[in-house]
Amino acid sequence: MALMDRIAQGLAGDWKVTDAATLTENQTLEADVVVVGTGAGGGTTAEILARAGLSVIMVEEGRLYYQKDFKMDELTAYASLYQDGMSRVTRDGAISILQGRCVGGSTTVNWTSSFRTPEPTLNHWADHFGLDDLRPDILKPWFDGREQHHNIAPWAVAPNVNNDVLRQGCEKLGWSWAVIPRNVKGCWNLGYCGVGCPTNAKQGALLTTIPGALDHRAQLIHGLRADRLVMAQGRIDRLLATALSADGVTPRNIQVELKARHFVVAASAIGSPGLLLRSELPDPHNRLGKRTFLHPVNASLAEMPQQVEPYYGAPQSIYSDEFNFRQGVDGPAGFKMEVPPLHPALSAAVMPGHGKQQASNMSKLPKLQSVIALIRDGFHSDSPGGQVSLQDDGSPILDYPISDYLWTGMREAFMKMTELQFAAGARRVQLMHLDSPWFTSWADARQAIAKLPMTPHRVRLFTAHQMGGCGMGSKPEQSVVNSFGEHHQVANLSVHDASIFPTSIGANPQLSVYALSARNSVHLAARLNA
Amino acid sequence: MTQPSPGDHGAPATMDRRSFLRTGLGGAVLLGGISLTAGLMGCATAPARNSDTATADDYAFRFFTRDDIVLFEALLPAIIGPGLPEAPNDRRQQIDRTIARMDAGVVQFGSANQNELRQLFDLLNFGPTRVTLARVWPSWEHVSTTEANAFLNRWRTSRVGLFNKGYMALIKVTNVAFYGYKDNWPLSGYPGPPAWAMDALPQFRTRA
Ligand SMILES: Cc1cc2nc3c(=O)[nH]c(=O)nc-3n(C[C@H](O)[C@H](O)[C@H](O)COP(=O)(O)OP(=O)(O)OC[C@H]3O[C@@H](n4cnc5c(N)ncnc54)[C@H](O)[C@@H]3O)c2cc1C
Ligand code: SF4
Repeated sequence: MALMDRIAQGLAGDWKVTDAATLTENQTLEADVVVVGTGAGGGTTAEILARAGLSVIMVEEGRLYYQKDFKMDELTAYASLYQDGMSRVTRDGAISILQGRCVGGSTTVNWTSSFRTPEPTLNHWADHFGLDDLRPDILKPWFDGREQHHNIAPWAVAPNVNNDVLRQGCEKLGWSWAVIPRNVKGCWNLGYCGVGCPTNAKQGALLTTIPGALDHRAQLIHGLRADRLVMAQGRIDRLLATALSADGVTPRNIQVELKARHFVVAASAIGSPGLLLRSELPDPHNRLGKRTFLHPVNASLAEMPQQVEPYYGAPQSIYSDEFNFRQGVDGPAGFKMEVPPLHPALSAAVMPGHGKQQASNMSKLPKLQSVIALIRDGFHSDSPGGQVSLQDDGSPILDYPISDYLWTGMREAFMKMTELQFAAGARRVQLMHLDSPWFTSWADARQAIAKLPMTPHRVRLFTAHQMGGCGMGSKPEQSVVNSFGEHHQVANLSVHDASIFPTSIGANPQLSVYALSARNSVHLAARLNA
Repeated sequence: MTQPSPGDHGAPATMDRRSFLRTGLGGAVLLGGISLTAGLMGCATAPARNSDTATADDYAFRFFTRDDIVLFEALLPAIIGPGLPEAPNDRRQQIDRTIARMDAGVVQFGSANQNELRQLFDLLNFGPTRVTLARVWPSWEHVSTTEANAFLNRWRTSRVGLFNKGYMALIKVTNVAFYGYKDNWPLSGYPGPPAWAMDALPQFRTRA
């Protein structure tokens, strides 16, 4: 039966899964490999290593939630499945950071769009970061393999109205558009991917690589926060971790020490550089935490004449790359256009208003449509990215100054999104900007956007794609890890997640993480089994 | 992992570095110690007990203090506005339940973000900063909805990015807790998860 839950079965069977909130005393554990983080990168790594016969322990700060917990409710989901209960922001508060924090990581809450790393991106990496072994033709088999593993295929069902407006606008204006490939199996087209898929259709880490690892005798400890890696004689000797309470946030007075031959850090951008910074690992060229990228997102809201019901249906099924690489890979900031799902809490968080105005905007939700632009950051010298550092409590924080180069791209994106929505028949359009009224024509909007102040806070910005901070490259002076994710200075340490990307991807990153982690894990397994 | 930060001019390092007003504003250092000062001056610094609010049922607050609750009892009618019911009892109950949900949400924020919010709330609760930075003269229990709305608009339209940030923090945590709650879904015309799917999914089946 399609509804038979693989996690519930595994837990009832012989899986080794421990909730650190239930530990009663300090522990010392040992394995061939310890993997920190169970998202796109960590899950892939654990499964491949476990299948290769290595003993693996997965350490995950978030808790284990699965079908029984996924009830299509935003408030519970945001509190339990997201970093900082969905309150994570950049240091100055100007960009809201959506990031997963649970078994499966961000893949448990992501919107299932599955793109290969764009070829111009891979070629740019080869040309600028010495990553010749990641050219498109070399990575092709890894994308093929992961697409199969996660059941990735273009969405064959009609797009919901929210996505179809993007398609129609592009058609009217002669802009390119295409159908998004999704990692789903037997999807009910419900639209709740962002709060944990209730039907087990989503083929994220939670239902693919993690069960695969656990079936091969890997161990999972969740509710356990990796604090620091401890070095001895030039190698990582052990990982120190703290158990958290069942509330998911309060540290307990219980320490777990994990010993291994090799350590793979997959706590993602912000998290992985954070762990390495806390551990005070060698960083002779001061690269750690630098060049963190976000695909900063600005957004535009349209009131349509027809019902949109932006809360129902596969959240993302149409995209446009018309403006992504048009001016060259390293020209003015390009952007990918997509749509976000709009449920009431997310909408209320994203629409910047209060009182009558907010009540009126919210009441229109069934007719609201939104377009987002994902700015391709990191390809130009005026887009050097952000810097991760540590706060007083040891948690990582990201400084991400927004350069004029990016603001210019965002203003251009406001123009194009607005033009598109009016072309698709919008009655009124409002930018997610503190100074934007509802515009009733493209001409009015265009005039206003040209003069709109592009400043932090006034432009409402988001990111669901954190990348970089442990960037890869062939030269240690410019990077933290090599093209296999191996740390330049510490022999038994690898990084397998989105933090190794030397620029942003220019497309939603999960498949890039799956593919690169698969490649690097096969390489690592061979190394460790040699 | 507290370390003294250079250039904090004698303000306690932790306070200064976490201060809500730490970036971009000349007076950041001056205001760094609000939480501390507020505590010394007798502002409520302990989480509120349930008896502190009239109708938040038996919810035990973990973050919001008595003063924070008073603050949001003044702000909610301006932030939610026409979304709140008119009848005084219903209204009061909606306000208190929303504040309780906000508290439950903030508990998941992690200590660093909680500290940021603490700084913001203390700044608004502490008389001298309430008057100088929020330009709200009466204490919050005497602030009318019109005055609360004017305050929100001042911070929203201010050219000082930090006030914009404060505005967004106040309305975001409130709007999410209010509009995201299922009893309030009708206000956004959201019908909730499709009934056919809930009927078919095991996690919605109450065990017989
Ligand atoms: C709402 C949302 C929608 C998205 N939609 C899409 C989409 O449609 N398509 C797409 O391609 N991408 C999407 N993404 C992004 C995508 O999911 C991520 O880029 C991808 O999962 C990153 O993989 P990762 O392995 O680097 O990190 P994650 O998958 O985020 O995993 C990292 C894990 O490490 C854990 N961790 C962090 N610190 C520690 C620590 N100290 N100790 C132990 N564990 C720790 C975290 O809790 C987390 O579980 C979306 C993301 C979000 C948040
Ligand atoms: S659309 Fe619904 S069923 Fe399909 S993957 Fe998303 S949440 Fe699951």
